[in-house]
Amino acid sequence: MISVKNLSHSYGNDRKLAVKNISFEVENGETFGFLGPSGAGKSTTQGILTGLLKLQKGDVSVAGYDISRVHNERFNTIGVSFEQSNVYSKLTAKENLQFYAKLFDVPTRDPMELIHLVGLLGKENDLAGTFSKGMKHRLTFARSMINNPELWFLDEPTTGLDPAIAANIKDIIKEKTTAGTTAFLTTHNMFIADELCDRVAFIIDGEIVLIDTPSSLKLQYGQKLVVITYLKDDQVVKETLKTTDEKDRLRIGEVVNLYEVQTMHTKEATLEEIFIQVTGRGLV
Amino acid sequence: MKLLSSYIKEMKIAARGFYFYIEIGMAVIILAVLLFAVNEFPTSSAKEFIYYDMSKEIKSLMLQEELDDGTLELAEPTQIKMKAALFSVKNKETNETKTYTYDEEIYHLDTYKVFDQKTGKLQKTIIETGSEDDLIRLAWQEKTIGAAVGMNEAGEASTRYYLQGYETARFQNLLYILQNESPATLQAAMDGMTITKLENAELLNTRQSLVPLLVVLMGALMGFFIAIAYIFLDKDEGVIRAYAVTPSTVWKYLLSKLLVIITTVIVSSSIFTIPVMGAQPHYLLFYTLLIVSSFAFSSLGILIATFFDSMSKTFGALYVFLIAMMLPAFSYYVPSFDPLWLRFFPTYPLLQGMKEIMMKSTDVNYVLLFSGVYLAGGIFLFLFANLRFKKTLAV
Ligand SMILES: Nc1ncnc2c1ncn2[C@@H]1O[C@H](COP(=O)(O)OP(=O)(O)O)[C@@H](O)[C@H]1O
Ligand SMILES: [Mg+2]
Repeated sequence: MISVKNLSHSYGNDRKLAVKNISFEVENGETFGFLGPSGAGKSTTQGILTGLLKLQKGDVSVAGYDISRVHNERFNTIGVSFEQSNVYSKLTAKENLQFYAKLFDVPTRDPMELIHLVGLLGKENDLAGTFSKGMKHRLTFARSMINNPELWFLDEPTTGLDPAIAANIKDIIKEKTTAGTTAFLTTHNMFIADELCDRVAFIIDGEIVLIDTPSSLKLQYGQKLVVITYLKDDQVVKETLKTTDEKDRLRIGEVVNLYEVQTMHTKEATLEEIFIQVTGRGLV
Repeated sequence: MKLLSSYIKEMKIAARGFYFYIEIGMAVIILAVLLFAVNEFPTSSAKEFIYYDMSKEIKSLMLQEELDDGTLELAEPTQIKMKAALFSVKNKETNETKTYTYDEEIYHLDTYKVFDQKTGKLQKTIIETGSEDDLIRLAWQEKTIGAAVGMNEAGEASTRYYLQGYETARFQNLLYILQNESPATLQAAMDGMTITKLENAELLNTRQSLVPLLVVLMGALMGFFIAIAYIFLDKDEGVIRAYAVTPSTVWKYLLSKLLVIITTVIVSSSIFTIPVMGAQPHYLLFYTLLIVSSFAFSSLGILIATFFDSMSKTFGALYVFLIAMMLPAFSYYVPSFDPLWLRFFPTYPLLQGMKEIMMKSTDVNYVLLFSGVYLAGGIFLFLFANLRFKKTLAV
């Protein structure tokens, strides 16, 4: 569905590259997560893939089209949700979707159904200008589904939303991708990525550090951890120990022998911990 | 279809914004001012300063005939406050320069009123000066032409004109012919020269003559300004990025905006043009020129907007541009001021074309020629703006 070879992009005339020589493929029906801290180059990459930014260097094909050429009809099968919401503030929520639907040559979804889906029912006749940031974001997200896209670009779809709504958005994405929609998901939220993505790419400073499935990453990098709480001198002590580490393993035996163990359970490393381990950087 | 729904959407947005109402409101105010505050015919018509360089007897002989048939009438003397002045005058034939210095004083000058032979309407007022130096001083102070009428040995009248220096060569030639040639050659010379402009200009009364100027202001220049405003309103919302990822094209998005501006311009210009001008203008040409010129100017607005990040940053450039574009209005009101460089201002042919359209006998070819130029220029600017727009999209 997407093929990217040696893609680089620079905003200025200087040598500083926002995206440095990245390559990856996204299979048909796959949900591909693009993970990295802010400023890593995620939106820039999505911008190039969606044709908003001019391709400067590299070979990119999206949905079977070489994007160095102009094919406006390719957008009939593509949906794009933006990091920064962008809707007409002088149009109502419904008018925004109705107008947008008219720009496509393919059957489109009922605006009211989408408004309902993202929890904006009752607000359909309000001017989008009166909406809160989160509501505008949901409208922008709803709009990206209007043409039933086969390929769906989602730039930070849950960032800045309150947890209940974020969960709602996540469920909508999951439902669509389970039904076969290919998704290119950009986020710095590892929990979302872990739950939604078939494969993830770690991107930092414009470079892809690795690409793999979340489960394989956990196998490779995620050492099993054991969390033990025990009583020592009448005080509760908590220790986190790695089962892969020789010294830690001995320490586990020691604790069990010497103290009264209260709880002891194993824990899997999160994608976030793996990211930190691989890149040496946090996600914020 | 996509263009149509974009246009409808833009009209909706315009109707919910305020620029549209500003433009319409201004048009209504203009109409009210034109109808109630501007007289069709000015009460005091043109003034002329003349010095009769001859004896009293010869002068009264010369004027007697006109005084008798009522086309000339002695009026109340005119009181003119002469400002202190220092200036120099260059003689065109001898190239000598003479400098004059004066103190402030008050003159009472003999005044005549000249009436049209057929209609009996006041044509002009002649103010007679006591000396040729006074004539020069008055011509300088009042910024108009002064004429010293003399009599040569053969008893023929000859005239020396004092000009401001910016009059066109054609106008100067005309004066030269008027004073030097016999009536027969004069007629031939005048037939040979196309002075249609001078004749036609009189067909628009004072109120009507304001219309072309206002059409340029409310059409081309407001269109230019509103285009910039609309683009920045949109840039703030970033909707163009959403538009760019649909099967529709950026040029349709831009054109739908221009169509809204053109619609606004058509409505607002009609509001004051039709009631003031009635059936006189060539309306087909009027709307043609109005549409192509507002298309060209609003395309220019869009293009300029692509070079700035915010509306406030454009104000400097905007201000200079609008002032420059109003310069041709001077030439419009002072026909004798018509330097060549002014003709290259894009508002110049527009103003002249609108004037032609408003008159009974319209120079159709002139209007069509420049309509073509505006259309071509507009298309070029539009394509360029489209290109710039695609380049400046951001994520
Ligand atoms: N319009 C722009 N002009 C200049 N630099 C930009 C622009 N947009 C992004 N950048 C820079 O490019 C880099 C990548 O940005 P971006 O792709 O937005 O990151 P992300 O989406 O991963 O947070 C950052 O260093 C950012 O400052
Ligand atoms: Mg981003």
